[in-house]
Amino acid sequence: MSSPMEQFVVKPIIPLQIGGVDISFTNSALFMLLAVLTSTLLFAFCLRKRSLVPTAAQSIPEMVYEFVSSLLRENVGVEGLKYFPFIFSMFLFVAFGNVLGLFPYAFTFTSHLTAVGCLSIIALLFNVCIGIKRKKIGWLRTFLPKGIPVALAPLIIPIEIISFLSKPFSLTVRLVANMTVGHIMLKIIAGFVAILGVMGIIPILFNSCIVCFELFIALLQAYIYTVLSCIYLGDALHEH
Amino acid sequence: MPQLDFSIFPSQFFWLTISFFLMLFIFSRFIIPKTGEMINLRKAKIDEYLEKAASLKVKIEKTLDKYNQALKKATDEANASLQETRRETDAMIERRQAELAADLKRQIEDGEGKIKAAKEKALKQLEPVAEELAQEVLKKLGFTDIKSADIAKALDRIREN
Repeated sequence: MSSPMEQFVVKPIIPLQIGGVDISFTNSALFMLLAVLTSTLLFAFCLRKRSLVPTAAQSIPEMVYEFVSSLLRENVGVEGLKYFPFIFSMFLFVAFGNVLGLFPYAFTFTSHLTAVGCLSIIALLFNVCIGIKRKKIGWLRTFLPKGIPVALAPLIIPIEIISFLSKPFSLTVRLVANMTVGHIMLKIIAGFVAILGVMGIIPILFNSCIVCFELFIALLQAYIYTVLSCIYLGDALHEH
Repeated sequence: MPQLDFSIFPSQFFWLTISFFLMLFIFSRFIIPKTGEMINLRKAKIDEYLEKAASLKVKIEKTLDKYNQALKKATDEANASLQETRRETDAMIERRQAELAADLKRQIEDGEGKIKAAKEKALKQLEPVAEELAQEVLKKLGFTDIKSADIAKALDRIREN
């Protein structure tokens, strides 16, 4: 029986090196691009015929659109709609990464700290850029909110810096842990099927339920990832 | 645990950045405007219809108001006309009644006059008979010297009483 962790091994498909740095095209990279490709194709397919009264296919992208836009409006406010494309793309990227990983033999890049961590860092940098653009030097107030006595600054500033930097970390760990655990569970239960012989039908049925549950978790985690990103974006836009 | 293998970090970082920004580019340039366009168009259309409905409602209210005013005016006019007719009728009835009363009174008076005349005429015819009868009675009683003029006078007095 192969190790349940084997599914998470990143294997290079096309070895590539630039200036001594290994940037090989891996199975992880393949699924990142596949997430982009499938989401684009699905949306393009759904939007091929557009009408004022939406067809069933057209209502899918519109539902996602309204969903993300209401998310932004609730958590950031109307001004947050300016950053709609970023949040929308992030939601779909994570959601498709999660869902694609559920297919047999697929690779779940959202179960990797390095991959999701990069996405969280991109989101963090995006928030920092917006914050600085919005508040200029006043953005530094993030680390010392108004109304705090200066005497407390040596204590507050490190705490605020830690809390600021822990945001992408918590985002990443939450998503990665959820994805990893789900896939390990699926793999372990699948391992029982061969061992139990005829009785293997039981783990198969159980696994079928878990796949459905994992599909729900995949979308839920994408939602949570997006909501938290929205909240952090709101923090960057508004006063503490 | 393969997740903790940080040697793949550059490759993951490189490809994730490319994929994510590719996605951001495709979605912000093509998919989102296409989706948003229809949603906004629909919203605009719905707003337009709502506005139209609101203006129609105002129009309807105005028309209804006008109708009510016209109805009130017509009712008032009809009432006024009815009152006028009633007043005229009343006046006519009163006039007719007065005429009738006057006519009746005149007829009654005529009748009374006629009765009075007949009564007087009858009394006049009775007078000589009464005088004669009185003279005869007095004669029989032995009063012979009483003149007929005195008898007439006495009879007159009795009649007046």
